[in-house]
Amino acid sequence: MPRVARFEPFSLIWLCGLVGLAIVASLAFDPYLAYVATSWVIFGLLGLSLDLVWGRGGILSLGQTAFYGVGGYLGSITAINCASLTGNTLIWSLPVGMATGAATAILIGGLTFYGRLGPLQTTIITYTFTLVLWTVAVSFTTTIGDAVVGGDNGMSNIPGYVLGFGHDAPLLEPGAMFLTVAVIATIAWYASHVLMRSPFGLVIDCIRMDPVKAELLGYDVRLYQLLLFTIAGAVAGLAGALFGAWANYLNPSVFSVQEALLVPIYVLVGGRGSLVGAFLGALMVGGLSFWLGGGVIGGQTTLVMGACLILLVIFLRNGLTGGLRDLAEMTRHLAMRRGEGEDDDSREPSLNVDFERLDLLRATEGEPVILETEDTFKRFGGVIPVRHVSQSFSPGRVRCLIGPNGAGKSSYLKACTGVYKPDGGSITLAGQDITKTDPFRRVRMGLGIKNQRAQVFAGLDVRRNLWVAAYSRSRDARTADWITAEMLHMLGMRNSASRPASELSHGEQQWLDLGMVLALGPDVILLDEPAAGMTNEERRQLSHMVRALARTASVVVVEHDMDFVRTLDADVTVLHQGEVFARGDIEALRQDDRVLDIYLGRHQHV
Amino acid sequence: MELDYLATVLLSSLSSASVLLIATVGLAIVFGLMGVINLAHGEFIMFGAYVALFATRSGVPFPLAVVLASVVTALFGAIVERAIIRHLYGRILDTLLATWGLSLVLYQSAVLIFGTVTPGVGMPQSNIEIGNYTLSTYLLFLILVAVVLIGLLYWLLTRTGYGIVARAAIQDPETAATMGIESGRINTATFALGSGLAGFAGAILLPAFPATPSMGFAFVIKAFLAVVAAGPVTLSGTVAAGGVLGSIASMTASFYTTVMGDVVFFIATITILRIFPLGISARWRLKL
Repeated sequence: MPRVARFEPFSLIWLCGLVGLAIVASLAFDPYLAYVATSWVIFGLLGLSLDLVWGRGGILSLGQTAFYGVGGYLGSITAINCASLTGNTLIWSLPVGMATGAATAILIGGLTFYGRLGPLQTTIITYTFTLVLWTVAVSFTTTIGDAVVGGDNGMSNIPGYVLGFGHDAPLLEPGAMFLTVAVIATIAWYASHVLMRSPFGLVIDCIRMDPVKAELLGYDVRLYQLLLFTIAGAVAGLAGALFGAWANYLNPSVFSVQEALLVPIYVLVGGRGSLVGAFLGALMVGGLSFWLGGGVIGGQTTLVMGACLILLVIFLRNGLTGGLRDLAEMTRHLAMRRGEGEDDDSREPSLNVDFERLDLLRATEGEPVILETEDTFKRFGGVIPVRHVSQSFSPGRVRCLIGPNGAGKSSYLKACTGVYKPDGGSITLAGQDITKTDPFRRVRMGLGIKNQRAQVFAGLDVRRNLWVAAYSRSRDARTADWITAEMLHMLGMRNSASRPASELSHGEQQWLDLGMVLALGPDVILLDEPAAGMTNEERRQLSHMVRALARTASVVVVEHDMDFVRTLDADVTVLHQGEVFARGDIEALRQDDRVLDIYLGRHQHV
Repeated sequence: MELDYLATVLLSSLSSASVLLIATVGLAIVFGLMGVINLAHGEFIMFGAYVALFATRSGVPFPLAVVLASVVTALFGAIVERAIIRHLYGRILDTLLATWGLSLVLYQSAVLIFGTVTPGVGMPQSNIEIGNYTLSTYLLFLILVAVVLIGLLYWLLTRTGYGIVARAAIQDPETAATMGIESGRINTATFALGSGLAGFAGAILLPAFPATPSMGFAFVIKAFLAVVAAGPVTLSGTVAAGGVLGSIASMTASFYTTVMGDVVFFIATITILRIFPLGISARWRLKL
C-alpha cells in the first residue's frame, strides 16, 4: 500500500523547522532585513505556485506572475476600499487575491487544457498572456472607490499588514510582518505538500510521466491539470496580495518579463518538484542580491539573472535539492551494487500467475457487457483504414482480430478506445452510445486497454503503478490497497513491489501494464499484440490468463502471431483493407485459400 | 464607406500583416525545422536593427547594411546554437527557458550599451496619397519584401540541397542519420538561418521601427502567437496565420488602440487554437 494520505513524521520535521527558523529569524533580524526578507518569502510563495504546475504537473507556465499580478491588484483594490470597515487588512486582500488569481488561472487553463494544446503551445500562451496583461496594465487607468489605478504610474496607498481589528489596530512592525508572512507561507506550503502526497498528487505525477496512460486508466487528465493550475493560481494570487500589502504600491512591472524571469529561477535553484525548494531558491536569490547590493529587480540584476537561467538549465537542471537527492541516490546505488554480488538468489523467481486470485478479482455480477461497433468508418484524407466494420464482442470466448499489415486492426482498436473519433457509424458499450465519448469515460464505463508498448509509470514503484489503477476504479484508498495486494500476489511480483517500474525487464513491464489494466476491473478488455516480445513460458501463461478472463469479460486480442492465436481457442476475425474479410476458427481459416492469399499477397481472390 | 478609405484600410492592414510576417518567419523556420521556439527572437530582431543602424551611420548604404545585419545576426545565431541550444536537444521546455534567459541578457546588454532611446535611421520618408488619405511608401514596399522573402524561402527549402536535407532531418531524424545526414550541422545552419531572418527583419524594418532595446517585445507577442496559431506547416501556415491575425489586429488598432490590437490578437489566436488545437495547418496536406 503506498503511503498516500498518511501522516508523515518527515514533513512534520520540515514544518517545525521552518516555523522555528521563521521565529528565530524574525527576532534576530534587524527591522530592515526583516522587511526585505519578507519579500523573499513572498517570492518563494510565487515560486511554489510554479513548482506545483511545472515541477509536479509538468506544465511550464511563464504566466504565474500574471495570476500574481491580478491577485495583487484586485486584492489590494479590495483592501483599499474595505480595510476601514474592520481595521484588519489581510482578511480582505488575501481571499480576494486568491480567488481572482484562481479565476484567472481557470480562464487560461481552461482554454489551454480543454483546447488540448501541446506543452509548447501552452507555455507560449501563458507567456504572451503575461505580456498582453503588461501592455494593458501600462495604459489602463481607472478609479474604483478609493483605489486609483494609474496605468504606468501604478497604484499607491495600499494598506499594510494589520492583524488586529478595530480602527486603532496597529500596523505590524517588520519583524511581526515577517513572522506573519512566514506563517502564511508555511501553511500554503504544508497544504500543497499534503495535497501532493494524497492520491490527487499521485495522479498528477502520473499525468506528468505519461498523460496518455493516465487517461487510459480512467483519469480525467484535463480536469486534473485544470485543478492543479487553479490551485497554483490561487497560491500566486495570495503571493500577489501579500506583495501589494508589503510594498504599499503596485505598478505594471509585476507583469513584466523581468519579474516573470525570476520565478523559474527560484524553482530551478531550489530544485523542481520539491515544493520547499522554491523557498530555498527565493531566499538564496534574494539573499545574494541583498548582500551583493541592489534590489532583486532592476539594474544589472536582469543581466545576471538571465545568464543564471541559461547556466541553471544547462548545468543544474534539478537544482540544489535535486542535486543533493541525486547524490544520495548515487551513494545508495553504489552501496547496492556492492551488496549485489552475494545475494543474487534474492532476485525474483520467474513469473508465476496465480489464476485462482484472478478469478477472485474478476468476480463480477450482472449482465454481460457487450462492445458493439456498427458500420464504423474512419478516414484520414484519402486513406480509409476502417471501412464500415460492424462487430459485436461479448464474454465467453476470446475474440481475435488478425490481418496483414495495414489491414486496419490498430485503427479499428483506436476507434474503439476513443483515440480516434470515427467519421461514421456508431460504437456502443453496454447499450450506451460511446461514439464520441472521451477515452477516460469509456474506461470508467468498463473498457480496459493494453497497448502494444508497455505503458508503465517509470518513476513510480510497482506497487504505486498498480495502486493508481486500482484507485481509479474504486476511488477508495482501502479498496485500492486490497486490489493492489491481490494483484501483486497474482502477478507474482510481491518481491519487486518496491522496485521502480523503470528497473523492470521488458517482459515484467508488459505484465505490470496488464496488471494495471486488470486492476481497473474492466468488463471489456482490448489487448494490442500482448504476446509481442514475450518468452515461450510467458506466452503460455498469457494465453492461459486471456482464456480465463474471457469467461467473464469480453476479450478482444489483436495479434500477428498465429501460433499464439491458436492457443487461445478463439473466434477469429480477419480484417483486410479496413473491412471484415472472414470469420471463423483459426484452423478453418488456415485452410481458407482466400485468407492465405491476402497474407501471402497473391491476387486471385482479392 | 468610401472607396479610398477602404483601399487605405486594406493596404495598411496588408502592410501590417507583411511586417508581422517578416518579423515572424525566422521564428517559424526554427520552430518548423527544429521544433525549438526561440524566445530570444525579438532580441535577435533588435540585434539586427542595431547592426544596420551602426552600419548606415558609418556610411554603409542601407541595402548593404541590411545584408550585413542579416549575416552578422546569422553568425551570432550559429554561436548561440553551438553554445546553448545544442546542449538541450530533446528538452524543449528547457530550451525555451534558456533562450528566455538569453533574451533578457541581450535586452539588458542593449540597455547598458545604447541607453533606452536611440535615434532612428535618417531615411527620407515619402508618402503616397490615396484620395483623402496618405500611406507611407516604405510600408507599402514592405508588402513586396514579404512576398519576395517568402518566395525565396520556398525556393531555399524545396530546391536547394540544404532545404531538402533539413526537411528530411526533421521528418525522420533516424533515417536521415542512417543516410549520413549530420543533424548537428543542419541544426546549426537552420538556427543561423532563423537568426539571420530575424536580423534581416530588424534591419529592413528599421526605417519604420526605430532601434530601441525594448523593440523586441513589440514584436514577440504577435510573432509567438502567430507561430503557435500557424502550426506545423512552416511557410504556408505562417503566411495564413500571420495574414489573418495581422490584418485583424491592424484593423482593431486603427479603430481603437494598439493595446486593443494586442488584446484582440491574443483572443483571435485563442479562438483559432480552440478550433485547431495544433494550429491551422495541422491537417493540411501541404508540407511546407
